Amino acid sequence: MRSGPAFAAGLFRYLPIVFLLLLWHMASTFHLVSTAVLPPLSSVLSSGYDLVSTAEFWDNTGSSMYRGGMGLLLAIVIGGALGIAMAWWKPIRYVSSPLVEIFYPLPKSALIPITALWLGFGDASKILLIFLGCMLPVTIGAFNGARGAEQTLIWSARSLGASRWRTLLDVVVPSALPELLNGARTALALSFILLVSSEMIVARKGLGYLIGFLGDGGNYDAMFAVVLVVAALGFFADRVYLAFARRVLRWRE
Amino acid sequence: MDSAVLDRAAAGGAQAANAQIVIDRLSHTYRPAHGRPVLAIDDVSLTVGRREFLALLGPSGCGKSTLLYQLGGFLPTETGTITVDGKKVQGPGPDRGIVFQHFALFPWKTVRANVMYGLQRMSLPKAEQERRAQEFIDLVGLSGFEDSYPSQLSGGMKQRCAIARTLAIDPEILLMDEPFGALDAQTRHLMQTELLAIWNRSPKTVIFVTHDVQEAVYLAQRVAVMSARPGRIKAIIDLDFDRRDPHLTKSKAFVDKVDEIWELVRGEAIKAQAGKA
Amino acid sequence: MARINQGGAPMASPEHDSGQLPHFVRSFGWGVVAWLPVIILLVAWEVVARSGTVTPFMLPTLTRVFERMGSELVSGELPIAVGLTLWRALAGFVIAAVLGIALGLAMARNRFFYWFFDPIISVGFPIPKIAFLPILVLWLGFFDLSKITMIAFNTIFPVVTATIVGVYSVEKEIIWSARNLGTSERGMLWEILLPAAMPQIFTGLQVALPIALIVGVLTEMAMGGYGVGGSMQTASRMADSLGVFAGIFEIAVVGYVMVKLMAMLRRHLLRWHQESQEPTTV
Repeated sequence: MRSGPAFAAGLFRYLPIVFLLLLWHMASTFHLVSTAVLPPLSSVLSSGYDLVSTAEFWDNTGSSMYRGGMGLLLAIVIGGALGIAMAWWKPIRYVSSPLVEIFYPLPKSALIPITALWLGFGDASKILLIFLGCMLPVTIGAFNGARGAEQTLIWSARSLGASRWRTLLDVVVPSALPELLNGARTALALSFILLVSSEMIVARKGLGYLIGFLGDGGNYDAMFAVVLVVAALGFFADRVYLAFARRVLRWRE
Repeated sequence: MDSAVLDRAAAGGAQAANAQIVIDRLSHTYRPAHGRPVLAIDDVSLTVGRREFLALLGPSGCGKSTLLYQLGGFLPTETGTITVDGKKVQGPGPDRGIVFQHFALFPWKTVRANVMYGLQRMSLPKAEQERRAQEFIDLVGLSGFEDSYPSQLSGGMKQRCAIARTLAIDPEILLMDEPFGALDAQTRHLMQTELLAIWNRSPKTVIFVTHDVQEAVYLAQRVAVMSARPGRIKAIIDLDFDRRDPHLTKSKAFVDKVDEIWELVRGEAIKAQAGKA
Repeated sequence: MARINQGGAPMASPEHDSGQLPHFVRSFGWGVVAWLPVIILLVAWEVVARSGTVTPFMLPTLTRVFERMGSELVSGELPIAVGLTLWRALAGFVIAAVLGIALGLAMARNRFFYWFFDPIISVGFPIPKIAFLPILVLWLGFFDLSKITMIAFNTIFPVVTATIVGVYSVEKEIIWSARNLGTSERGMLWEILLPAAMPQIFTGLQVALPIALIVGVLTEMAMGGYGVGGSMQTASRMADSLGVFAGIFEIAVVGYVMVKLMAMLRRHLLRWHQESQEPTTV
């Protein structure tokens, strides 16, 4: 249960956001700016309300979530495993690190036309795009974390009777976790950018596509509403992720 | 039991018969990723008896920790051999427990889970694992902190936990790498007394690395003084103090011994400093 | 790349890091040997593309991609595209850097600024700002202005947060010593706080620059116009896969050079700062 003072403090903290929303509303209702370029908050909210009661909206949301979730999952699992493997086995490090070094600075958005070229406009190309685009931040986080695993911890596990495999699982993987999770947070943010923009550029479905479609049709109220939905999804995904990471790393406090 | 301890102490020098650890003409070169190779240990031979408490004393960077890590099997032996109970050391094993200066507790595991870790690697019934973990947590005085994470403990408590974790697997040999070096003076003194008490109760072979002369003289039956890099054994001193005497550290015999050994170490410490510049 | 090739880091692996490679490799050919995996990858690409197991549309041969880049270079298309993309990305980046550092400093030093902007920054940072692109187009049109605004809008957040963290982490003792030595408020900002926070701020900039390139390419793809992203999108629409792959190579080189330049600049500007590690970024 949230106590009164804590709630008031939260309200006070987010007051500037309320203020901005109010400013938006007043700017359009008092015709300081044209409602054509900035629809009033109230009409955005009401068309948003209409929108969420359509199957079309949920269809597009589901499609975006599926693509983003799958791509991100692959990126975290495969990227994390690769980073830890690079830290633990020298041959893998020698083979992978120049490749990682070359692909890491590539602006990931350039992969959009390539994945479309390979897999078309559907789910597969988006999942591949997000997987490829989001993998390396996780890999590098996992690598740095695993490589930073304290030598004495590894030695302790070995002298307490752990095999090399057990040591990898029991010491190196948990040591890699804080930085791996940090990389995964970067990947999460990047996945939203790649997802929404690739859907705006090359797609027949998804929230990014819906934004473009509504905008092209001049339905700005609804377009603003979808933009706000996407922003809220990104925000809450980050907060849920942070809560998850804090729980996983609670031993650090 | 106490007289047995004293007997062992008196027998200090002559363990060739019950030698447990034999280090024979060991040399080790440290090769950093960048820079020139450094000869860290040069032709060291040393024999340690079963249930002996030996201190390895020397200035920082003299290779005493390297020697300990080779004994532990963490670093490979290149030149020379180390045998434990007649078997060559090939790698780490639960027969040689180690305690590090910076504790090396698994930070993501609670005190109990840390102490349980080695027990879980042995094929013991779960109830027995838990009973033994609790026994050693109680022994080092951490009762009530079983569910704390290491980050919630003070330095002294962390080291108690690390000692419990190592003792729990009942190693025959205890390797200690400046275990009290990161603690404040009072805690250090307390831990020294407790370590002696634990050792008196269940004697193990202890190799205790330190650069603190007083600590070495207070704890060990024998002190091996190492020279500055490259590390060699410069002198071996037998000690036979009665550690039960509460005024021991103020006695003339003790103070004289500390002075004598300090003279040996001082020259090496100066050399080590000059070597760094 | 972020910290990946730095020696001296504690080793996770129980292997020893030296003395295992033949000596000649370490002294002479190390540079070439280290890049062998990249060379093998490129050769494999050429072999696979020539073997006919995949269509030239899916994977054109490397030689043809390079020929294409050569002809674009001669015709001037390549320098124009790269120049335009770089101009927009850098313009947005510089605007974000200047505004971001100023805002970060103001927030770290002034409680009202902090109160007002903190929720906006903490809500704005994680949201996918690229979704606002159609709105910006609506307001600012299709040309450079909306693109550069979008880039700045995306890149300002890491700069602001890094600046705040940087100023907050300046040691109290340094500030007190400076006060004690008679530093004025203004001097405190320019001579103490800004330099002391610089390692963190620079980390923020190193995170921001790749974002500027990513978003720059995205805006070109979504809105058209010249630039590497724009020409890749055009090529993709016309099923001109050679153009798409040529674009990938061009933008990869741009990204690589930018990241390396930032790292060099960091080493130069932050010589005094011992660790000077590169950050983990996108």
